[in-house]
Amino acid sequence: MDKSLTAKKLIVTVTLALTLLVVVMFLCSLMGTERVSLRKVFGSTGPQELVNPDYEIFVSVRLPRIILAVIVGAALACAGVVFQAILRNPLADPYILGISSGAGLGAIIAVLSGLNWVFWGRSPIAVFAFAGAMGTIWLVWFIGRLTGKSHITGLLLAGVVVNAFFSAVIMFLTSVAKSEQVHSTIFWLMGNMAEEDFFVLWLSAGAVAAGILALFYISPQLNVISFGQDDARNMGVNVTAIQTIAFAAAAFITAVAVSLSGLIGFVGLIVPHGVRLVFGPDHRQLLPLSGIVGAIFLVAADTLARIIVAPAQLPVGVVTAIVGGPFFLVLLVKHTHKVGWLGK
Amino acid sequence: MNKWWWLLLITLCWSCAGFAIFNSRHHQSTHIPTPDNINRIVSTAPSLTEILFALGLGDKIVGVTLQCNYPPAAAKKPKLGTFWQPNIEAVIAARPDLVITLGFDRQRNIAHRLKRIGYKCLTVNIEKVGDFFDAVEKIGTATDSRQQADELVSSIRKKLDNLSSLAGTGGKVRVLYVVQREPLRVAGRDTFVNEMIELAGGENAIAPTVHKYPPIASEQVYACNADVIIEAAMGQKEISGQQAGALRYWSRFKNTPAVINERIYVIDGDTVSRLGPRLYEGIETIARCLRPELFENKK
Repeated sequence: MDKSLTAKKLIVTVTLALTLLVVVMFLCSLMGTERVSLRKVFGSTGPQELVNPDYEIFVSVRLPRIILAVIVGAALACAGVVFQAILRNPLADPYILGISSGAGLGAIIAVLSGLNWVFWGRSPIAVFAFAGAMGTIWLVWFIGRLTGKSHITGLLLAGVVVNAFFSAVIMFLTSVAKSEQVHSTIFWLMGNMAEEDFFVLWLSAGAVAAGILALFYISPQLNVISFGQDDARNMGVNVTAIQTIAFAAAAFITAVAVSLSGLIGFVGLIVPHGVRLVFGPDHRQLLPLSGIVGAIFLVAADTLARIIVAPAQLPVGVVTAIVGGPFFLVLLVKHTHKVGWLGK
Repeated sequence: MNKWWWLLLITLCWSCAGFAIFNSRHHQSTHIPTPDNINRIVSTAPSLTEILFALGLGDKIVGVTLQCNYPPAAAKKPKLGTFWQPNIEAVIAARPDLVITLGFDRQRNIAHRLKRIGYKCLTVNIEKVGDFFDAVEKIGTATDSRQQADELVSSIRKKLDNLSSLAGTGGKVRVLYVVQREPLRVAGRDTFVNEMIELAGGENAIAPTVHKYPPIASEQVYACNADVIIEAAMGQKEISGQQAGALRYWSRFKNTPAVINERIYVIDGDTVSRLGPRLYEGIETIARCLRPELFENKK
């Protein structure tokens, strides 16, 4: 394992990463299609000027969107770490067990049903996507349990098949839907970031932070499990309990992220690998760092998505893949000889 | 398991704090301008932009979408994103008194977000020909230009009446209205294009379908037995190029009346598909394709 990860070392690294995150958030909040001057934002909110577009753009549009990117990025990256650990599969990402298609199915059903209400500041699409994601992951978990001892393979196969099945249902529904409905679904499936109510952000931040903290609690056991289940059992780890907690928490934060912003790919795959390549595979450090790096990555990617084709916008998923892919390959080539995969 | 209880407790406190902070602070919207006080309008769709110009509100428009290209003055207005994805920052920076959007998901979404910040939004649904007249009235009311709206509506209605009395004689012409050639997609029955075809004295050659704009196979092209095939081109420039391609493409359906009689037309899709004030021009264009003889003596 890692040479020596002391509490002090961990705190210093995480603090440095958090500082970097705040700096990136600040810089990105200054960038956008419109030029916003900070002095105007916080200076002249006098009564003589009823409308202060600078303030509205900065506080009501840009800031919530950046905070949203932080929440989603952190959630996806941490979920990616955990799925890679418990499935012991380097290809795992938060969507591997069918969350994406389950959420997509929920979203498209919401769009097709034409529902129009608001629940705690969330649209039907978000609520249905969340329900779809949680329902699917429960289904996959349940089928995985039925397959018995060789839990992981059964789980993976169940996930792949459920994913394929729901994707087919999604394709069917899009092919019979009205064209304008299809359009809004496609935007959702490509990852759709928009500003949210601060209330929604507050609650989601709490949910995601709680999930990540729960995962951090079990990170020492995750280290052991990534060596193999039998070894872990021999070392006195309650593998089933840890797997259940890891699975539930990771699925939960993924579902929250997906319901906030649709399907944003790549973050949950490359950020954990990137952090593992550079900082080593110890989950006590890997998990918090991946969360922070995921947040930084998504904030930066979303800022690019906002400004690169102004006044139009790109789906953020396009940017995460185009920017993240090559960057990851460079890391891969440079660092692979230094560290092995998954704690080996 | 002590740490787990702490986690639960902290999460609960955090959520309660959220409810306490954000539910107590009621968001009162800033000043909402009255209709006679609207001087800066943003339009998020080409058809809406055309309506605004037709109502004489062109000077008050401070932002349109990248797709707004008619009338020519519209193309010179500041662009605030695309029809599918208006840029909310740019809309706010334009400081509008009124933002007009269409009623489908993507556009309702932007209206909802702007309303939350405190902007006045008008959402109109234009899916059928009747909706267009309603929308004009609604926009007229919201912008204190009722009179212009009434005039616009009645002038279009009058022209339509003239056309229907002209085209009403004689049997119905069966039309296949092609939206896109590869894959082949046509206008179905439940569309405004269908209404326009009927107003022009024609009949949709396609039977009722599940889709609004169904993708169809060659079999159905033969089966529908169209007298006339109309293709919508994207913009004026591409018409001539597409016309040549159209003849080549449709020649494979040898036994269709439209192909035998060489009645395949390519028209500017914007006038038809936009459902704006050029509605009549669109219908007349279709009518000309259906019965060229009716219009020959007029010109």
